[in-house]
Amino acid sequence: MSPAVGIAAITAVSVATAVIGFYGLRISRTTGDFYVASRTVRPWWNASAIGGEYLSAASFLGVAGLILLSGTDALWYPVGYTAGYLMLLLFVAAPLRRSGAYTIPDFTEARLDSLAVRRVTSLAVVIVGWLYIVPQLHGAALTIRTTTGLPPWVGSTAVVVVVCLTVVAGGMRSITFVQAFQYWLKLTALAVPIIFMVLVLGGNDFPGEAAPATNPTGLAPAGPYQNISLLVALLFGTLGLPHVLVRFYTNPDGHSARRTTLIVLGLLSVFYLFPTAFGLLGRVFAPGLAHTGQADAVVLLLPGRLIDGPAGELLSALVVAGAFAAFLSTTSGLVVSLAGVISQDVLGGSVRGFRLAALVSAMVPLGLAFMTDSLALAGSVGLVFAFTASTICPVLLLGIWWRGLTDAGAIAGMVTGGVLCGGAMVAGTVLGAAGTPFWLAQPAAWTVPAAFAVMILTSRATSARVPRTITKVMTRLHTPERPLATER
Amino acid sequence: MTRVRVTAPRSAARPAAEPREAAEESAMGQVFVRSLIRSQLRLALVVAGGFLLILGAFPVLLGAIPGLAETRIAGIPFDWLLLGAGIYPVTGISAWLYIRSATRNEARYRDLAEDRR
Repeated sequence: MSPAVGIAAITAVSVATAVIGFYGLRISRTTGDFYVASRTVRPWWNASAIGGEYLSAASFLGVAGLILLSGTDALWYPVGYTAGYLMLLLFVAAPLRRSGAYTIPDFTEARLDSLAVRRVTSLAVVIVGWLYIVPQLHGAALTIRTTTGLPPWVGSTAVVVVVCLTVVAGGMRSITFVQAFQYWLKLTALAVPIIFMVLVLGGNDFPGEAAPATNPTGLAPAGPYQNISLLVALLFGTLGLPHVLVRFYTNPDGHSARRTTLIVLGLLSVFYLFPTAFGLLGRVFAPGLAHTGQADAVVLLLPGRLIDGPAGELLSALVVAGAFAAFLSTTSGLVVSLAGVISQDVLGGSVRGFRLAALVSAMVPLGLAFMTDSLALAGSVGLVFAFTASTICPVLLLGIWWRGLTDAGAIAGMVTGGVLCGGAMVAGTVLGAAGTPFWLAQPAAWTVPAAFAVMILTSRATSARVPRTITKVMTRLHTPERPLATER
Repeated sequence: MTRVRVTAPRSAARPAAEPREAAEESAMGQVFVRSLIRSQLRLALVVAGGFLLILGAFPVLLGAIPGLAETRIAGIPFDWLLLGAGIYPVTGISAWLYIRSATRNEARYRDLAEDRR
């Protein structure tokens, strides 16, 4: 692909994002607008925005790359990413919306009536957010390097600059429009090339072509432990992702929070068919990418390889635009939710504090991205899910459904899960991909139960500390809103 | 649960208590709230359990019937179709069933809470 095409595509997406962001600026005026769009976003908009925000570098590039490398084992990633939303719907969506809290730390503080719990939750949210932004920036660096030949840091920096501009300018309201636009852009950017490629290859008797069952690099198939541990991480990790949860506050009530989630499930199901198809086509027609360490770039390179001439160039530009939309949307969603947490906890919750916090939230991961190398994108995001599942998920689930949870139990459980899972991640980095035993590489299967167990046992031991507000809080979480509010 | 209807003269100037506040106040209200929470949790666990059973059955099925994974439909191996596309309708149907039942639980709760006034 010619570098000019790539640069043009990336510029177009960045400009479109900024323009929609500034359009949003005109309608966001109050502090409430900045945080949660005043809770008046319609389910379809909101669902598209959630889809836009959730489909990150891991989904857009990483899934197809991993499918190229490890075949059907990698199909568990999109399954887990989608099924995580089902768990979110079943256990979290409506009660979280009814809690009326702006952020996850707001929720835990209100539920447990404890400032200490709030601080620990905030710390967990900030760590999760930063860890999650880093792979997005790695993805941007990879895209820039592959498609334009510019130095990789240009990509990460461009993402951070555009995100800071949009978030500082418009807050959540503009972000909602930007994200919704980017879901449809991402879907188009994968669907159109796939349809074209299948049509073109259809002439060359593609259906008869066999997908090889063996992995191109001879990678051994994953055992049941790895698959189960991965699913635990993805199913329970989605429950606790700060940028996903903050979206539920923009629904007018608990019932519409559920409807939004149902639409999101549909949007995700449609979307994930396409990275899967990319991975399958890559295995058939470009298995060589796996050998040269370019597996994550299969989505970017495949259209240009299979379709010649200007059509191939155009499709490549579309895919690059979609990839950049993925980095921008996930990063801005994370920056908004991190900025909400940091500004409320440290800077007093003003609009100015929110803007300052947004800059901090974006700069730290940029530094981390410069210092680290990109692993397989889907794999590194999978580890962030494991961390979330071990820290934020237990406190949310037990907080919503179990009256016996205490502040001491919540803190003990989050610290245990964080230390165990964080330790496994650090050990995995130190030992390298080859030297890490399988139970350290996929830690969720034991760190999540450990966090739950510690949280429950400590709460039992300190049952005198159950907050006195428990009856009121549980009623608020689970009873439907006043009829007036639902009939709007 | 037995339905208890507490009647009061409707014409009397009744305080404009909202259901949520009324529910928080009384012991009877708390009985309803607890029962609502229990039924919502039971529903969520049943749907999650059912979904995970189906999800777990997929690889078992592929392992148990030799040759099934390699069977091709329109050139695409069956295991790819099952895991890559077949799982999504299951997710959507589970979600839809859940929302329907959860909304019904809430409507039942609201009837009880409002009858009581």
